[in-house]
Amino acid sequence: MTERALTRPALAYGDVRLSRFDPLPRILFFDDFDNGANGWCELIGNHDGDLDKVRPVVSDMRPPQISSVSFWDIGTHGSIDGTYALKLATRPRANHMSLAIKRLTYVKPGLVQFETYFTFKSEAWIGARPDHQSGYDGNVDPSVFDFGDFTIGNDVCDREGGRRYHCALRYQNTDHAGNLTRNWQYKTSLQTTTKMEFSGRPAVSDYHVSDPGDWADVPGGHQPLCYNEIPTKINWHYLRYVFDTEAGRNVELQVNDKVMDLRNIAVPAYDHGYWGLDRLMNFCIDVRTHKPVRNFLFLDSVVVSVDW
Amino acid sequence: MLRRSFTAVIERNVDFATGFVCEPYETGWAIEARWFVNILAADPAAVLAITAEVSPDGLAWCPHEAAPVERSGPGLMTLPITNVGPWGRLSFSVRGAESVRGICYLTLKG
Repeated sequence: MTERALTRPALAYGDVRLSRFDPLPRILFFDDFDNGANGWCELIGNHDGDLDKVRPVVSDMRPPQISSVSFWDIGTHGSIDGTYALKLATRPRANHMSLAIKRLTYVKPGLVQFETYFTFKSEAWIGARPDHQSGYDGNVDPSVFDFGDFTIGNDVCDREGGRRYHCALRYQNTDHAGNLTRNWQYKTSLQTTTKMEFSGRPAVSDYHVSDPGDWADVPGGHQPLCYNEIPTKINWHYLRYVFDTEAGRNVELQVNDKVMDLRNIAVPAYDHGYWGLDRLMNFCIDVRTHKPVRNFLFLDSVVVSVDW
Repeated sequence: MLRRSFTAVIERNVDFATGFVCEPYETGWAIEARWFVNILAADPAAVLAITAEVSPDGLAWCPHEAAPVERSGPGLMTLPITNVGPWGRLSFSVRGAESVRGICYLTLKG
């Protein structure tokens, strides 16, 4: 924990659930998913009322679910406290992504910190292992190869017509060739918007970037997470992500004991302005499968805080 | 405290044909549920029947006790659910045409 945490007794917040977080001075929101979805909703691409015109990559990002984190073999796993977590679920289709968004604007530019406890899994099955599941040795479970990646990010616009950018940090569990990589990555190209496609840019297959290969490894970003052997055991991980809406950049990513300095990582910004997005500040989380197997991302709770 | 409610768009502009089942959705927190299907395009002779299904784990499924609902032609149809269960999905069958096109909603309250 940081020096700031040492000066803040847990009970000073008046809510002991906050003692496992390390927020900046002002908490913007605290989402305990035992109380509902708290404004996290499905992202859909822009349209004119005809949903057939929504770009395919943003046409089917799935509604988030309030989940008891239950499995066929043991029943309810539950969240850290209470019963429910927020769940994102892909379809069982290769390259399908589920993305949830929470939309705010901001009062002052500066540091914004997103904290959560999360876990992830690919979908279990009942009975004999599927063909692609050979190689189980009682500890290493091939189901880990069924999980693709998950991403945390934002959508920030300073002023109407002004600087706009998306930060995105992806945990790549497996690459498209099916190799277990387990690296944190950052994106190196712009997210193609509806406006850009209207202007003739090609359609994309990865929501975040122009080309699926436009990702680079975060320096020092290799991190085996706690998969815990089979697809029906989950373990919660702490994540703290800081970005700066003054500088327009990532600042830091902490996942359990690993802290990654992101200040020198370039964040692509649009060379054209957008109408109607004054002080836009959206938070985004997503999960993507590389196989015809549903992938899940669970959030126990979220705290977002700022330095003003 | 007001009760929680949530509307999930489970399928969007999809061609529903016999044998189609929608994506599963967790409903364990809800006391009551109501499915809606807005049929956007259908042959006038087409009849769509929807049946609610439930599951303890999102993997194995059986029919819910609620009676199936039918509708012919475009328009909105609904199927209310009590004793909701941990997971829900909707099963579709069509007669008089190969398929109908529509949007499937699940509304939850609890």
